Amino acid sequence: MNAAAPGFLIALETSEIGALIRQSIWIYPTANIVHVIAIALFAGAIAVMDVRLMGGLAGSDPSRVVRGARRAAVMALVLVLMSGAVLFTAEASHVALNGIFQLKMALVAFGTVHALFFGSRAIRALDTLGPQAPMPGYARFAGGLSMVTWLAVVGLGRYIAYN
Amino acid sequence: MKRMALAAALIGIWPALLLAHHGWGSYDAKNPVTVAGKILTSVYENPHATITVQAPDKVWTVTLAPTSRMRNRGALAEMIAVGTEVSAYGYPSTADPGEMRAERITSGGKTIEMR
Repeated sequence: MNAAAPGFLIALETSEIGALIRQSIWIYPTANIVHVIAIALFAGAIAVMDVRLMGGLAGSDPSRVVRGARRAAVMALVLVLMSGAVLFTAEASHVALNGIFQLKMALVAFGTVHALFFGSRAIRALDTLGPQAPMPGYARFAGGLSMVTWLAVVGLGRYIAYN
Repeated sequence: MKRMALAAALIGIWPALLLAHHGWGSYDAKNPVTVAGKILTSVYENPHATITVQAPDKVWTVTLAPTSRMRNRGALAEMIAVGTEVSAYGYPSTADPGEMRAERITSGGKTIEMR
């Protein structure tokens, strides 16, 4: 427990659920495994969506591919968040003060806001476009920014343990 | 396609560059220490079991292994109970001078690898 952390995080970590996660032989490793698998699914969906936005997979219907991949990404993200919450609860006071974790969560917030506003705008613009149509500039940009943001989130997540 | 392959390669290399100067996380593998003494506190929990040890020089926080690994290797909670004499060989943290990560611990005539 890191006493320098905000009180509610200390309370979360020292709660019965926090203790249960740490004391169980399998809960923590299971959450870890689910987190990695969910990240793989999320990254796959994000890659399909962003590559299509950037003009790749040009033979496919852009609107269908991007909307379908986005739905898959949201479902995977729910799994990422649930397993991540378990991992976070076990070590809340330590992890919250980790600068890499803070940067990672800032990028998660940025990626989410970007997806909701600019991503949604880019997707709406695809409705009138068919296969082989060149992607608008901002759709390419949104796809590239999304890809870079989420890959950075994954890289930073792994780096928390080394900081 | 070529540009994409190059981008993928760069993204793949980036964490390797970041990690290149690390041995085992943020622990100084070049300056191993052996911490021996009585166990003052003992927490048998994930992600790592942790003990504090009254060594001759100071009280060390010794980070061990995940509990499932320790159990599989025969290091049960009793092996690191408070009051037990333990010897831990490992590497000091580069961030916290009072912490080390154990490569192996010896207690009650048993030596268990932690990595």
